[in-house]
Amino acid sequence: MPVPILKQGDKLIASLQSDLDDKDLMQLKDEIAEKVGRFKSRGVILDVSILDVLDSFATRTLRTIAETARLRGAETVIVGIQPDVAVAMVQLGLTLDGVLTALDFEEGMELLLATIEGSHHGGG
Amino acid sequence: MSNGPLLSDLERLQLNTHDIERRKAFVDFRPDDLSRIAAIKDLVVHNADRYGVTFFDHLAGIEEAAGLTRNRNLLEQAKRLKHEHLIAMVQGDYGREYMEQRVRLGVLYSRAGLDVRVFLGAFHVLMRAVGVDVMKRFAATPADGFESFISLKKIGFLDIGLIVDVLIAERERTINVQQDAIRELSTPVLQLRERLLILPIIGVIDSMRAKQLTDGMLGSIRDKRARIVVMDITGVAAVDSKVANHLIQAVAAARLMGANVIVTGVSADVAQSLVALGVDLRSIRTMNDLQGGLEEAERMLGYKVVYADGASPAFGRA
Repeated sequence: MPVPILKQGDKLIASLQSDLDDKDLMQLKDEIAEKVGRFKSRGVILDVSILDVLDSFATRTLRTIAETARLRGAETVIVGIQPDVAVAMVQLGLTLDGVLTALDFEEGMELLLATIEGSHHGGG
Repeated sequence: MSNGPLLSDLERLQLNTHDIERRKAFVDFRPDDLSRIAAIKDLVVHNADRYGVTFFDHLAGIEEAAGLTRNRNLLEQAKRLKHEHLIAMVQGDYGREYMEQRVRLGVLYSRAGLDVRVFLGAFHVLMRAVGVDVMKRFAATPADGFESFISLKKIGFLDIGLIVDVLIAERERTINVQQDAIRELSTPVLQLRERLLILPIIGVIDSMRAKQLTDGMLGSIRDKRARIVVMDITGVAAVDSKVANHLIQAVAAARLMGANVIVTGVSADVAQSLVALGVDLRSIRTMNDLQGGLEEAERMLGYKVVYADGASPAFGRA
């Protein structure tokens, strides 16, 4: 099932579903890359709080989404990684270095605003 | 003494028939030793009381044996068991029952905190007293006397082997009990302010404790919605590459949940050993002490701590 991408102002929001397969992930990657440009988005929030596992492919794809979005002018925050998932990822050596993370959607939104504002001031 | 610990000691030492035979082989105990010991049986039985006195008199003069010699209850038990021991040494039956008696004596020594070295010394003094008597009896045929004494000494060494095993096993058990106690010391995660947790770590970190600690921290991050965790390792005596790896993983997992970890209290020794080990700690933010870590955390969270009006003239209000 493809992941719905919501547009909220200058941000894109995607909540990943539990029955996510590799094809859905690839499609999500392509769609976000396209929509960030189309809507001139400044931020992307990827909510993974429903997932009880993040394997290496999913992790790599999330990182790719974040890096692609950054090249297109948007910061990405991954939110809602659960404690068990975090431990499993670390043990697999998947640390998402260089990608912003936050506890939940609310925190992620705050972090995104702060980051966008910071980079705006930095750039201005 | 309860039978519980004794049985488990026996099981741990694996005193089965095979093991007993192996122990005899270790000291080169042969059938002809039995007749040689029989030749001095009456002598040892007759003087057993005196040998016991020699043994305990020697211990009485040694400060390190005070745990035994000044504990009347243990001392009486030890004297009784030692007497049994001396009698049993010359009976020619060195089976499981004999071994169990020795283990019982070993457990008693262990409870009295008797050092292996002290025990060995006292046992040697006792054997010397026996040897002197044996040589006196065999004054006409010293070679026979020497052989008989050596046969007895084989049994003596058999006993030493057992008792030392018990002392070591008991010491290991003590260490295990203490390690369990350390492990069971809870590692509390404390909320200091909104969004700020502190995690003081004290004692030894092994894989199991590291997992408990990480799980506890991540759970608290979620429940308390923490953004920063100050992990204080002042109380961690030694950090090797394995422990460092545990800490790095805990920090990385916290980061995946959107929380920053500040590690504080890295002592000079720990810092030097980590660098010497080549552990890559660049992914970890560190501050020198807990105070520094908390101040940094407060700054990152946007807190500003100020003194109430005039409360601290020393702080130099401009």
